[in-house]
Amino acid sequence: MKMDIGVVLDASSPAGTTRDATALARLAEKRGLDLVVIAGNEAAGQPAGLDVWTAAAWLAGATSRIGIGVAVAAPSSPDPTDPEAPYPSVVTKAQGSLDIMAEGRIISDPAGWVVAPRDAKPEELATLAGAGLPVVVPVDSSEDIERLAALVAGPDGGSAARRRPAAARARRLPTIDYDGLPASLAETAIEPGDPGYRAVSATYLRGGAPGVVLRPRTPAEASDAVEFARRHRHLPLGIRSAGHGISGRSTNQGGLVIDVSAMNTIEVLDPDRRLVRIGPGATWKQIAAALTPYGWALGSGDYGGVGVGGLATAAGIGLLSRSHGLTIDHLRSVDLVLADGRQVRASRDDNPELFWAVRGAGANFGIATSFEFEVDEVGEVGWAQLVLLSTDIEESLRRYGEFASTAPRDTTVFLVTGQPRQGVSSIQLYAVVDSPDPDTVVERLTPFLELGTLTRQHVVMTPYSGVMSNAADIGPDGHQGFGEPHSRSAFLPALTADFARDAAAMLRSGAVYFFELRAMGGAIADPPPDEASFTHRAPAFQLTAMAGNNQRLNAVWEPLRPHFDGLYLSFETDLNPKRLLDAFPAPVLERLRDLKRRYDPDNLFRDNFNIDPKLTTPTAKEAIA
Amino acid sequence: MTDYGHDLLFGTFVTPVAQQARQVVELAVTADRAGLDLVTFQDHPYQASFLDTSTLLAFAAGRTERIHLSANVTSLPLRPPAVLARASASLDLLSGGRFELGIGAGAFWDGIAAMGGRRLTAAQGVTALREGIEIIRELWDTTTPGGVRYDGQYYSVKGAKRGPRPAHDIPIWVGAYKPKMLALTGSIADGWLPTIEYLPSGADSLPELNARIDTAAHDAGRDPAAVRRLMNFMKVQFSTTPSGLLNGPPEAWVDQIADLALTHGISAFIIGGDDPTITERFASEVAPAVRAIVERERTGVA
Repeated sequence: MKMDIGVVLDASSPAGTTRDATALARLAEKRGLDLVVIAGNEAAGQPAGLDVWTAAAWLAGATSRIGIGVAVAAPSSPDPTDPEAPYPSVVTKAQGSLDIMAEGRIISDPAGWVVAPRDAKPEELATLAGAGLPVVVPVDSSEDIERLAALVAGPDGGSAARRRPAAARARRLPTIDYDGLPASLAETAIEPGDPGYRAVSATYLRGGAPGVVLRPRTPAEASDAVEFARRHRHLPLGIRSAGHGISGRSTNQGGLVIDVSAMNTIEVLDPDRRLVRIGPGATWKQIAAALTPYGWALGSGDYGGVGVGGLATAAGIGLLSRSHGLTIDHLRSVDLVLADGRQVRASRDDNPELFWAVRGAGANFGIATSFEFEVDEVGEVGWAQLVLLSTDIEESLRRYGEFASTAPRDTTVFLVTGQPRQGVSSIQLYAVVDSPDPDTVVERLTPFLELGTLTRQHVVMTPYSGVMSNAADIGPDGHQGFGEPHSRSAFLPALTADFARDAAAMLRSGAVYFFELRAMGGAIADPPPDEASFTHRAPAFQLTAMAGNNQRLNAVWEPLRPHFDGLYLSFETDLNPKRLLDAFPAPVLERLRDLKRRYDPDNLFRDNFNIDPKLTTPTAKEAIA
Repeated sequence: MTDYGHDLLFGTFVTPVAQQARQVVELAVTADRAGLDLVTFQDHPYQASFLDTSTLLAFAAGRTERIHLSANVTSLPLRPPAVLARASASLDLLSGGRFELGIGAGAFWDGIAAMGGRRLTAAQGVTALREGIEIIRELWDTTTPGGVRYDGQYYSVKGAKRGPRPAHDIPIWVGAYKPKMLALTGSIADGWLPTIEYLPSGADSLPELNARIDTAAHDAGRDPAAVRRLMNFMKVQFSTTPSGLLNGPPEAWVDQIADLALTHGISAFIIGGDDPTITERFASEVAPAVRAIVERERTGVA
């Protein structure tokens, strides 16, 4: 058995040992020991020693690998008149800060180690290590450390298998069976104490602190991950492809995340049929770039940083949708890991019911590990980003609705705005005109210039990859989201004058900082409604509104409801079960629930618009009541 | 012409953004390697997106070798003076005398109250700071026998353990703008650490503000030169054409800084910007040239 061994340094005698403390900690690190505990000595009659917290932070900075142990005294209640009483809020903040800077090397609870006697023999250390905690031995000199290092080095010189340092293991949650991770996943899994943890804990719009992030690289590993998740059914389970989910909560507190970003290959299967196979972790920016050399494109949403897995199992209402349809309309087959760990294919021929379900409610049925799409021939398109200022947002919205819905289907225009400032709204238009002819592009865009005073314009002829390329790549620090996003989503059968009036009032309220209208129609409406479990093919627009405060958002959103018919689940954060019937009309929901009972009877996949297999679908009337 | 004759110090002012902890520490390492004298961090414990400055100072000190470090400036209302004294002395010992103590009476009282701190008026804050500084110096004094007893209006303690004693006489630099704070600075502080952008008329305010400190020093029986004059410059930029203070080519920076040193007695120049390139150019293209000019003026004709 490999044990963790460390040293205890005495902070009580500053004059003699402070410079030594640093040298001793560095030596312990060099000799492969696991932990340095810095201990104070409050003995009466002696001058005060080093402040142990300061010493711990200093040692963490002065070393790079070894764990640092420091017993943080629980601060007393704050007393501003007592110059010796630290503020609990500041102490807590200090601990959080050192965790960040030392990247999980700190153990600040004395229950996290066992102190052995100075002269402990190897057998004694081994016995103490039986508790699974690091064993630390008080030392005064470099000779002490050399002796200890020699004791524990052993004949094999350490094992090659990945073993987390004691400080990292101290952060494990009791609710998760970390040691039970199959070897295939253990190698790439990230735990709270791992250096890379911060980079995987947040998503694009959401903060989180998952208990473990599993990162399968193959369908078999994804199956192992599902198996592991089944043993942790009591914990939240998020499925993440690129971390842009809003309804799909791909991070959580203390739960599991299965991150499929490593499965991100893009390969052409059949050039004649334009059939491509794409992993769920690929981003739309990568896909667009890979397809451009063939003169092809696959429509997605409006941002290249989004991953395939979430979008291609919901719908995919994007900037090519009016000309080429939804992303799911290009899906020919999908490989899934089901809740029981089985790997299955769903297509028109294989598991057709599952294929229907996955195209709209995929998050309820499994983890997609591979998609096959038939993509479109798309040459250069006109790509416009315009900013217009409007003093009458109601009129601008109304006219946008008219132009965007009556434009030829080669033209897809999205509108984004927020709160008017001093009565002036800044309107951003994102438009793709699927035509290689610049004159046509200009002709299609010209009506939209009436929405306000044009203050910025960027119009280019580009392959679709140029439309997706502005997305930032995820850097080594990962996503930076924090807190919870608050977002509402709806479909508009038509953008009426009454809607424009009510939407303008909502914008003027200041509650909503992000408001987007996506034009639909065109090729979206071509397939029959029962083609897929996503059935909202008739609406003219999809609306999203985001706010900092959920209550305020509800208050301003509610008056708009009469204008809506259903919602696109991907942009909705409301967890009210009634929203299910907005996402799926009752007969569709009933069919999905039947399938859920068949494919996920224990409701493992419940993170994103969960269809509970144990409930019955209420009638529309019941849902409203 | 005012020149208090201190050695010149050049340093940086780094924003302690928690989301960019690695870059924050790296900025301190860059300043250290570039040969600057000082790296400082603002201290706003109620600012949720910031790291804890005391902890950051200790960690960054452990990562660096020669540079001195200070908060810029410590928010006394959330840093009880005895706790602050011990943390400061400890870091000074561990770092071999590289810690300095910038301190202020506190601002952003809503934030301070939200963290559990005590809300004071500006005038009360000045008195509390005076008491705090006295307590800090008492704690550092390990030669006086017995514990520290202090019975102030805002702080009181009955027999606190002394020590640890710092490795060097840690100077206390006060962030001060208003007359009462300037008077306190002149009477008991080792340095004055304001930000030029916050002075009512920028550099033109310096004669009056310096005079207030000088007067207070005289009144306390001190040599005004006992109070080093430091200065933060938040908005700095190297550019080809000069357009304002520390916004221009390096030669313009050199002239402006040398002038502040020789005309107004400023002897420490601390720049913001959080930019490693600016840090390196400040160290290599500005600091040596300023030192040469000031050296020449001090030893030469003048």
